Amino acid sequence: MSDDPLVRVDDLHKRYGDEEVLKGISFEMDRQDVQVLVGPSGSGKSTLLRCVNRLTEFQGGEITLDGTPVTEMDVDDLRRQVGMVFQDFNLFAHLTAKENIMLGPRRVLGKTEEEAAERALDELDRVGLAAQADSYPAELSGGQKQRVGIARALAMDPKLMLFDEPTSALDPELIGEVVEVMEDLAEGGMTMLVVTHEMGFARAAATDIMFLDQGRIVEHGPPERLFENPEHERTAQFLERLTRLHGETR
Amino acid sequence: MSAGEADGDADADAGGGVAPDARTAGPRRSRAGTLKYVAGAVLWGWVLLRWGNDWLGGVFVPRGQAFVPPATVAGLGDAIPVLAGVANGLAFAVHYLPNLMNAMWLTVVLTVVSITLGFPLAVALAAARSYGHYTGWAALGFVELFRGTPLLAQLFVLYYGLPWLPAFFRNLPFVGEGIVPAQAVWVAVVGFTLNSAAYQGEYIRGAIDSVDPGQLEAGRAVGLSKLGSVRYVVLPQALRYAIPGWTNELVYLIKYSSLAAFITVPELLYRAQAFASETYRYTELFVLAGVLYLGLVVTASSLMGYVEGRVAIPGLGNAEGR
Amino acid sequence: MADPVLALGALSADWRYVFGNVDYLLGGLWVTVGLTVASLLVGFVAGLPAAVVEVYGGRYSSALVRNVGVVLRGTPIVVIIMLAYFAFGISPAFLAATAALGFRSGAYQTQIFRGAIESVDGGQMEAARAVGLSKTQAVRHVVLPQALRRSVPGFQNEVTIVLKDTSIAFAIGLAELFTKSADLYQSIGHTTATFELIVFISAIYFALTFVTNRSLEALNDAVAIPGGKGR
Ligand SMILES: Nc1ncnc2c1ncn2[C@@H]1O[C@H](COP(=O)(O)OP(=O)(O)OP(=O)(O)O)[C@@H](O)[C@H]1O
Ligand SMILES: [Mg+2]
Repeated sequence: MSDDPLVRVDDLHKRYGDEEVLKGISFEMDRQDVQVLVGPSGSGKSTLLRCVNRLTEFQGGEITLDGTPVTEMDVDDLRRQVGMVFQDFNLFAHLTAKENIMLGPRRVLGKTEEEAAERALDELDRVGLAAQADSYPAELSGGQKQRVGIARALAMDPKLMLFDEPTSALDPELIGEVVEVMEDLAEGGMTMLVVTHEMGFARAAATDIMFLDQGRIVEHGPPERLFENPEHERTAQFLERLTRLHGETR
Repeated sequence: MSAGEADGDADADAGGGVAPDARTAGPRRSRAGTLKYVAGAVLWGWVLLRWGNDWLGGVFVPRGQAFVPPATVAGLGDAIPVLAGVANGLAFAVHYLPNLMNAMWLTVVLTVVSITLGFPLAVALAAARSYGHYTGWAALGFVELFRGTPLLAQLFVLYYGLPWLPAFFRNLPFVGEGIVPAQAVWVAVVGFTLNSAAYQGEYIRGAIDSVDPGQLEAGRAVGLSKLGSVRYVVLPQALRYAIPGWTNELVYLIKYSSLAAFITVPELLYRAQAFASETYRYTELFVLAGVLYLGLVVTASSLMGYVEGRVAIPGLGNAEGR
Repeated sequence: MADPVLALGALSADWRYVFGNVDYLLGGLWVTVGLTVASLLVGFVAGLPAAVVEVYGGRYSSALVRNVGVVLRGTPIVVIIMLAYFAFGISPAFLAATAALGFRSGAYQTQIFRGAIESVDGGQMEAARAVGLSKTQAVRHVVLPQALRRSVPGFQNEVTIVLKDTSIAFAIGLAELFTKSADLYQSIGHTTATFELIVFISAIYFALTFVTNRSLEALNDAVAIPGGKGR
C-alpha cells in the first residue's frame, strides 16, 4: 500500500459554468514529496488545490488519496486528512492563536480540552510562537498569523498539506519567517502541495515543480531541470521573471 | 456521490453562504419580481380607480359602493363549494374595501405631508449636530427626546395633554369643513413631523459624517467656500448615502401613522377598527387593513429602491454594502 | 432636606395626583419591562434560527423565511397586536402582546443576525471546513460567535424599539405603563392631569431607553475581540 503514490490526480477536469478551468491534469505525489505549483494568475492553481480537499467539486477525472478516490470519501474525513493554508490566513477572528489550533482537535477529533491545549502549545512552539498563544489574530503580524495558520493545519496530523500562496499577502520582510517554517516542515517529511512564487523555497525544498497555464500542465519536473534546462521557452521566461521578483527574499 | 452532482453545494458551503454563482438566483428571482409588479399594478390601479370614482362623485359606481357586488363574489362560493368559506370572506371584504381605501387616502396624506415637512427640519437638525456648538446640543436634546419616548405618548401629549393645540387648529378657518380635515389630523401631522424630523435628522447626520472629510478639504482646495463645499460636494454624496435610512423612515412612518387612530384620526386603522366593532369580523377587517398597509410599505420601498438605483454612482457606497 | 409632604404641597394638584399614584404606575412599569424582555426573547428564539436558514438554507426554506419577514415587517405593530388578540383570540392580553411584539421583533432580529452572518468573511467558513468541521459545526463554532458579537449594536436599537412599542398594547387594554397612565387621567375629575401623567411616564421610558443603551454599549465593549478594529 505505502508503495502506491499518496496522491494521484488523473485527467482532472473542472468547469465553472461553461468555462473549463482545468483541462485534464494528471500527476502523482509520493509520500514526503514537495510539489510546487506555479503559473500565471487565473491558470487554475487554487482551483486544483481546492479540488483535492473538495472545497470545490470537479466534473471529470479522478483524485485519489492513499488509493481511495476523494469523491468516495466522507468530506469531513477527507478534510481531516488534508490540511490547508490560505493566502489570507483565515484565522478564526474570535479565537486566540491557541484556540484557533484547538478547535479542530476538539470538535473534529473529539480530544479533551487538555489534550488539545497541549497539542496546540506544541505546534505553536514548532512555529516559534509559544509566546503568542493567547493573542487574538488582530494582535498578530501577518507572518505570525500565517505561522498560526500552518500550526492549525498541523494539529490535525494531516497526511498532506495544501498551501495556496501562503506568503503572497505578506510584507517582504515577513516572508522569510513563514518560508523557514515551511522548509522545516518539508525537511521533516511532510507531503506538501504548494502554490507559491517563492523561487527560493522551490529551489531549496521542491521535489518537483509544475508549471500550469490556462488549465493545462505545460511542464513538470525536478527544480534543477526546470530552472536550468526547461523544454519550453514559456517556462524559462516565467521562472526567470518569478526569480527576478521573488527570488532571494531572505 | 459522483463528483459532478455536488458542485453547486460544495461551492456554496465553501463560500460561507454567499451565493456562489448566478445559476441559483437568476430566473426565479425575476419571476417573483414580475409577480410583485403585477400585484402592485393591480392594487394601485384599483386604488386610483376607487379614489377617482369617489372624488368625482361616483362616475362608475355610487360613492362607497364596491365595483364588484359582494353578492357576485359570494355567488362564486356557491359554484365551487370547497371555496365557500373563502368566497364569503372575500365578499365581506369587497363590501368594506371602498371605505377602507378611502381611509387609506388619509394614511397616505398623513405620511407624505409629515415626512415632507419633517425633511427641512431634519436637514437643519443634522447640520446643527454635525457643524454647530450650542445648536448642536439643542438638536441633540430634541432628537433624543423624540427617539427616546413612545410615539403614542407624543401624540397623546399633543392632542390630550395640550388642549390649546387642537383648539388652535379648530379655530382656524375651514378646518373640519369640506375637504379640509378636522383638528385631530393637523395635530397628528405636527406629531409625525416632529418625530420624523428627529429620525430623518439622525440618518442624514450619519450620512454626512460618513462622507470622507478629505472631500470637504478638496472642495475648499478648489476654491469653494465652506458652505459651497458642503452644498456642492458633501451633500450630494451624503444624501445618496442617506437614501436607505430615509427609506426605513418612510416605511416606519407609513406603519406608525396607524397610531393616529388613537387620537381619533379616521385613517385606515381607525375605520377598520370601527367596522370591526360593529360587525365583530375582526379577522377579515384587520387582515384587510394589514394587507393595505403592506401594499403601501412594499410600494414605498420598491420606489425608493428604484430611486436609489437611478442616482447611484459607481464605486460610491453602493446600496448592497450599507 | 425638606419634608416630602411639604415638597409635594408646593406642586400643582395635577402633579400631586401623579406622585400620589406612583405605586399604581410602577405596577404598569413591571408589566412593560416584562413584556419587553419576553418579546425580545421570543424574537431571539425565532430570529436567530430564521437568520441561519435565510443564509444557509435551501431555496424554498430561505424564501419562506424572507417572505414571512416581509409581511411581519411591513404590517403596523398595532394591527399585529389586534389580530393576535381579537382575531386569533390569544389571551390573556399579555400573551397576545408578547406573541405580536415577539414575532415582529423576530423578523427584525432575523435581519440583524443575517447581516451580521453575511459580514463574517467567507474565508472563515472555508477555513473551518478545511480543518474538518461539518457545516453545522462551522456555523456553530466559527460564524455565529463572530456574528453575534457584531449584532450587539443592531440589537440595541431593537431593544429600544420593542420597549417603546410595548405602549401600543394600549390598543388591547393591557395594563402596562401607558395604559395605566391613561386609566388615571380618564378617571373622573383628573382629565387636567393628562399632560403631567404622559410627561411623567415618557420620562420613565426615556430613562429606560437611556439605561438600556448605555448597558448594551458596555456589553458591546465587553465582548469586543481584542485588537479588532471598530466594533
Ligand atoms: N467560484 C468561481 N466561480 C467562477 N469562476 C471561478 C471561480 N473561482 C475561480 N474561477 C475562475 O477559474 C479560473 C482559475 O482560477 P484560480 O483561482 O484557480 O486561478 P489561480 O491560478 O489560483 O490564480 P491566482 O494566481 O490569481 O490566484 C479563473 O479564470 C477564475 O476566474
Ligand atoms: Mg489562486
